[in-house]
Amino acid sequence: MKENKKTVSVFQKKKRADNIAGYLFLLPAIVTFLLFIGGPMILSLGLSFFDYNLIQPPEFTGLKNLRKFLIDPQVRVSFANTFKFLLILVPVHCIGGLILAFMVSSVRSSRLKSVYRGAIYFPTIVTTASVAIVWAYLFGTDTGVINYFVRQLGGTNIPWLTNKVMVYITIALFSFWKFIGTAFLYYFIGLQNIPDVYYEAARIDGAGTLQVFFRITLPLLSSTIFFVIVTNIISVFQIFEEPFIITNGGPGTATKTISFYIYEIAFKQVKTGYGCLLAFSVFLIILAVTIIQFAGQKKWVTYDYE
Amino acid sequence: MLKVKSGRNIRGLILHLLLMLLCTLMLLPFCWVISTSLRLPGESFKVPPSFFPTDFYYRNYLDVFSKFPFARFMMNSILVAVTTVILNLLVTTMAGYAFARIPFKGRNTVFMILLAGMMIPAQATMILVYVVMSKLGLVGSLWAIILPATINPLSIFFVRQFMMTIPGSYEEAAYIDGAGRVQIYLKIILPMSKSVIVMTSLLNFMASWNNFMGPLIYLSDWDQMTLPIGLRVLQGYMGTGSIGVILAGVAISIIIPTFLYLAGQKYFMQGMTLSGLKS
Repeated sequence: MKENKKTVSVFQKKKRADNIAGYLFLLPAIVTFLLFIGGPMILSLGLSFFDYNLIQPPEFTGLKNLRKFLIDPQVRVSFANTFKFLLILVPVHCIGGLILAFMVSSVRSSRLKSVYRGAIYFPTIVTTASVAIVWAYLFGTDTGVINYFVRQLGGTNIPWLTNKVMVYITIALFSFWKFIGTAFLYYFIGLQNIPDVYYEAARIDGAGTLQVFFRITLPLLSSTIFFVIVTNIISVFQIFEEPFIITNGGPGTATKTISFYIYEIAFKQVKTGYGCLLAFSVFLIILAVTIIQFAGQKKWVTYDYE
Repeated sequence: MLKVKSGRNIRGLILHLLLMLLCTLMLLPFCWVISTSLRLPGESFKVPPSFFPTDFYYRNYLDVFSKFPFARFMMNSILVAVTTVILNLLVTTMAGYAFARIPFKGRNTVFMILLAGMMIPAQATMILVYVVMSKLGLVGSLWAIILPATINPLSIFFVRQFMMTIPGSYEEAAYIDGAGRVQIYLKIILPMSKSVIVMTSLLNFMASWNNFMGPLIYLSDWDQMTLPIGLRVLQGYMGTGSIGVILAGVAISIIIPTFLYLAGQKYFMQGMTLSGLKS
């Protein structure tokens, strides 16, 4: 009995020690999280109710910013542009990356496989701003390299960056080239992690390539696909550098995204309060979209297949 | 039987052709950058454009250093990236260890809150962080770019996933020998997490090297600028006359991450695979 009591107290002591140790190890993460992510997030909601220009003290204006938000035509334009990017870029990455990963992982030779993998992933590691500058040159209307070849093939100059529709295609091409490596790599690794026994079993049953893809690969990859879609949507909501460097939001306001608009409001016009409201609205939309995705995933995502 | 095999061969051939075409297209812009950066200033837009160097006008590479504070840009970028990676690694591995190996109360709740941080867009926190930095007098300082990057929920997620795969028996043995949590973290868990450490370090290095928004809002002095923002300013200065100098700068800015990636590739892939996305 006495022995038993002792072990219990040792156990409790260890439990308490674990609690303390756990939070001590987490301390740097918690502090930096509160300082740079959680804290600013909550405070920005508060600052949405103020007029503030960094110099004079914040002035409480209640719902003024919100009323402005509702009638601001720039808000509508920049959200609409952001949604256009979502509609184009999310499928490009989530489906394009999957197709590429499937192609590369079905290559037999392991050396060629790593060459292909390296080439596809390579643009992902280089500086976005640098290569965006390069693309602005390549896709120039009169002096651009791409249009030179278009003319050689008998075409006329394509307004890659100066036409409201073409500019989306140009940025989609850039985005594919620059960032496809991220989705590709997640899928590629997901495919590698699928145990061979599943494929062997399917082969014995005489399943064809497409059948294997839809019946085995896709379901077993669903958790990776879900992860890629969720993170991709979050990052496209924040698309900034591509329009900022390649098109400067143009032509006109055709590629002005919500991030671009927030940058203008908060840092160019220094309307800090209104900028906070815009930023918070983006957060709420991302939150809603992500919650919907998590609610929907139960229908199609499988975990723990091993 | 023979038919099946030749069908498979043709399919394999098409696969290789498609992939080779794609990989060529992926690498072609880099060929253009390098060949154009080695051209005479007046011939940047010479037609037909060449994807292989035709001249070897290396002066562009000297000019970018002599006419602009490009060496400063590079030093600043390296300083920011290295400091970010080190601080981030400390925060990330400690948190990853706690989440993966210590059964403390409220672990899942804290972890979920942290992961939810991934949904918070950078713009949403940036304005408030800017306000605080400006109060602290850090606008124009590299610390304003380093400090917010020390926390990255995705890195913590990866490290936790990886550390959960380390067998518990190592820790138990150390426990019996009287080791404490700190010793286990330093002497057992960290050395065994080499690949995930290399992987997150590379990802964070590249994120820092690429960071555009931060330098854009915080840095306005030539002396403080990092590469991405410096190149952007250079682009404005050069107009459309000679782009050879800018492209020389672009080429240099690409070299360091490429080298690091190639050096760490093996661990990078290992870390990616083992910290897999099955949670």
